[in-house]
Amino acid sequence: MNVFIKASVQPAQVQEPSLDDETKSERPWIVIVWNDPINLMSYVTFVFQKLFGYSLEKATELMLDVHNKGRAVVASGSRERAEFDVYRLHEHGLWATMEHESL
Amino acid sequence: MKSKNGPIVRTKSGTFKVDLPDDHRKILTNLIEELRTSLTNSNDDAALRRLFPTAYHNDPKKDAEYQRLMRDELLESRLAAIDTAIKVLTQENEITAEEIDAFSRSINSLRLVIGTALDIAESDYEKQNNSQHDGASNEDSSDGASDDDDGQSVQKELYEYLGWLLEWTVSAQSSGL
Repeated sequence: MNVFIKASVQPAQVQEPSLDDETKSERPWIVIVWNDPINLMSYVTFVFQKLFGYSLEKATELMLDVHNKGRAVVASGSRERAEFDVYRLHEHGLWATMEHESL
Repeated sequence: MKSKNGPIVRTKSGTFKVDLPDDHRKILTNLIEELRTSLTNSNDDAALRRLFPTAYHNDPKKDAEYQRLMRDELLESRLAAIDTAIKVLTQENEITAEEIDAFSRSINSLRLVIGTALDIAESDYEKQNNSQHDGASNEDSSDGASDDDDGQSVQKELYEYLGWLLEWTVSAQSSGL
């Protein structure tokens, strides 16, 4: 459980100032689920449990974040991993996108 | 609606029973077949676009690349789920966890498309206060009924029915987690 949620703040590493693509791609990607007026709350909760192995409590909390705040970060990791998660969420009809975690 | 257990029940052995009357099965099968036809014809209907969302919301270039690689796979996955859903609806046997999963994704796809179309129709309706929809708001094509208020109320009923069915499907699946 929670394998995709990393510590939210990591100690800053000293890096060369030039953020080339290589360096940038090492920054984790986050997977965001956005609120939409159609998907059922129970369905969204179930999908979070099923795809990410979250407990009912955690999945419900994320679903309520999506519902009340408009979005929630449901996973994070490598670009490849995030794309895979976005794909699976799309398969289930959820509105998911990904972006680089902000520094 | 039909029994206290609801239309979808998880058995002790982990399979699922679908207890739906024949007319419901027929309606659902027709709707899902229609969805398959729309998806296969790959028209650019706004409601269908809901099934193929953006992946990179702040990077159109990466999104184009993603869509180029993944869109067809997503389409194939939806069509495979639809095949399974139709199989589920046209036989009475108990079904597996994989089959109920494909069934629930297909019901949800259908609900998303109808819900999206309804929203468009509703905003059109509010603007004009008279139903004169253009083709874009008419997602379910062939029978021509959805151009008028009757068609819309039928769609609303379907939308609610699909929500009811999906709630039961999720509840049956959740009991196995």
